Amino acid sequence: MELSIFAHYWPMLLKGFGMTVLCWILGTGFGMALGLIIALIQRYSIAPVRWLVQVYVEIIRGTPFLVQLFLLYYGGPMVGIRLDPLPAGIVGLTIYGSPYFAEIFRSAFRAVPTGQIEAARAIGMSEPTIVQRILLPVGLVSALPALVNFSIILTKETVILSIITVPELLYQTQRMSTETFRYLEANLVLALFFWVFVEIISRIGRRFERRITHYLIERP
Amino acid sequence: MFSSKIFLESFEPLMWAARYTLLVSGLGIAVGLVIGALICMASMSKSGFLRGFAAVWVSYLRGVPMLVQLLVVYYLLPVIGIDVPAIVAAVGTTAIVASAYISEIWRGAINALPKGQAEAAVAIGMAPGDVWRRVVLPQAVSLSLPALINELILLVKASSLVSVVGIMEITRASQAQAGSTFRPLEVYLAAACVYLAINLCLAALGRYLEHRMAV
Amino acid sequence: MVQASSVEVRNVDKFYGPFQALKNVSLSIPAGKVTCLIGPSGSGKSTLLRCMNFLEEYDRGEIRIDGKLIGYDAPGRKMSARNLRQMRRSIGMVFQQFNLWPHMTAQENVAEGLVRVRGMSKPEAMARAATELGKVGLADKLGNYPSRLSGGQQQRVAIARAVAMEPKLMLFDEPTSALDPELVGEVLNVMKALAAAGMTMVVVTHEMGFAAHVADQVAFLEKGELVAVDSPAGIFHAPKDERIWNFLRTYNERNSF
Repeated sequence: MELSIFAHYWPMLLKGFGMTVLCWILGTGFGMALGLIIALIQRYSIAPVRWLVQVYVEIIRGTPFLVQLFLLYYGGPMVGIRLDPLPAGIVGLTIYGSPYFAEIFRSAFRAVPTGQIEAARAIGMSEPTIVQRILLPVGLVSALPALVNFSIILTKETVILSIITVPELLYQTQRMSTETFRYLEANLVLALFFWVFVEIISRIGRRFERRITHYLIERP
Repeated sequence: MFSSKIFLESFEPLMWAARYTLLVSGLGIAVGLVIGALICMASMSKSGFLRGFAAVWVSYLRGVPMLVQLLVVYYLLPVIGIDVPAIVAAVGTTAIVASAYISEIWRGAINALPKGQAEAAVAIGMAPGDVWRRVVLPQAVSLSLPALINELILLVKASSLVSVVGIMEITRASQAQAGSTFRPLEVYLAAACVYLAINLCLAALGRYLEHRMAV
Repeated sequence: MVQASSVEVRNVDKFYGPFQALKNVSLSIPAGKVTCLIGPSGSGKSTLLRCMNFLEEYDRGEIRIDGKLIGYDAPGRKMSARNLRQMRRSIGMVFQQFNLWPHMTAQENVAEGLVRVRGMSKPEAMARAATELGKVGLADKLGNYPSRLSGGQQQRVAIARAVAMEPKLMLFDEPTSALDPELVGEVLNVMKALAAAGMTMVVVTHEMGFAAHVADQVAFLEKGELVAVDSPAGIFHAPKDERIWNFLRTYNERNSF
């Protein structure tokens, strides 16, 4: 074991980690937004549009993220979509995550009791207001655990961006190991690092959930 | 311009390469089922050590990206003196990662069974081993089937990552094809189609099994 | 005294696929009076109630509130969503499952409609909500979330939420059926007060005591048919139809020791 390489390479690794976090946050944020739009389309739109969206969902869920990335990054330029690695990675994560987020929102919306929507209709609320004031807040809370869970899965997917040369953590680790020939140490430490990182964000996620759902806890 | 000729021609080598995709994911889930069962038993055992081991196993494998795990295994094996072809490292990693998820699937299925059933079996004097063999396991296995099919679909997709260590599965083959034809769009679209076809078949199988169980 | 609506139901049919839930139902609901709808479960009484604010779409016939057709501009031509909302503003509804919004406090639940539908300012709506909650005896529960309230308290919040919109007609869909027996009284008392204030009320209920003592008229439905409309005394003491008699006998057997 030769761990002294980290003493020399840590600034590069830190930059890689920053890039990982950036990709993760943007990919998760945009993916969630796109997923929400998809879920709302699936709930409110006319049948042909819903079918089109469903086809998109099936295609994205049925293919590996890596192949989607290759299509976007290498195939994209042939249809005029020229993206640098980083934007391609973020767009890729957004597309990849969107159907999963959509599914989470969709089932959360279904879990909102019909009666709560009817109560809003009965006092004369308009549909957009019902979405904004009842469906979204009630649905989002019940979606929260699944959202947190899938966001954590996305953290792990960010390493795949190294294959299209996004300079995130795995990419920097590989650079370090090819320069030092310390492949095992580098990857082992990276694995441990991810393990701890994922544990930490899971814990933060759970605490966040508890804070948001405090009013649902019965205490008569 | 989109060349449908290249698109269609890509299918042959990719479908050929699909053997490796199916080999890695199929063997991965088969071995994963066995290890997963052991981990599941460990997680439900009375021994604190075994439970702790299972918890660490699951937490590590679910916390670390599969690509990183693959690299660790790939570089670790030669260091500890095990000289095996890359395909073994690939299947091994896939199986080990799968085992973590599978053990959770089985634990969930067992916990979902009404407790009264096992108690009823005990009450009529069945031995604990028989209770498991005759009452708990048959039901848990069929309860968990849809989730296991789903896991297999995930593995088919995850197996694209073993292209990184040089296994000529669909993704690697499409990279090679894209390199030689300079038509990445057509080739990767074809690759996506092959994956989609495999996964749609598996999903249909899953729905069929779920439907049969529900009756 | 409140401003009160009358409701005129004429020849209403309602289908769920091939199943006919309402069969040619006609019923007059006079302004300022309490009408109870009773009958066995599945008789269509809730469906009829829900047709009155068009949460349930009736297929034939007409329902008029103060002479104005609800749900349709003309037979077969559905009303615009905006006009329907306009009509619903003056029809309050209280549900069996309360249906409070779980992410809002009691006060916010009542204020929400005032802000979003009536366009009141937030502080004004909150003050109004506090007053309405005071009237149902919940002045000390303004800041409580629904999960921290008993069933009876939740239902009283739901009534306050409906009343705050200043409806001219109140629909109650089995308002006490989801409550523990000891909580039924507090909700019925609030309803009695509303009745005394001259509100037009249509109440689907299994509380025969309430129907007998508070209602001005009682309608009995079975299998989608309106069997009889009569005074409470007429229905409970001199039922003219065997079906009513059977229903009441079963009810008494279940509720006696």
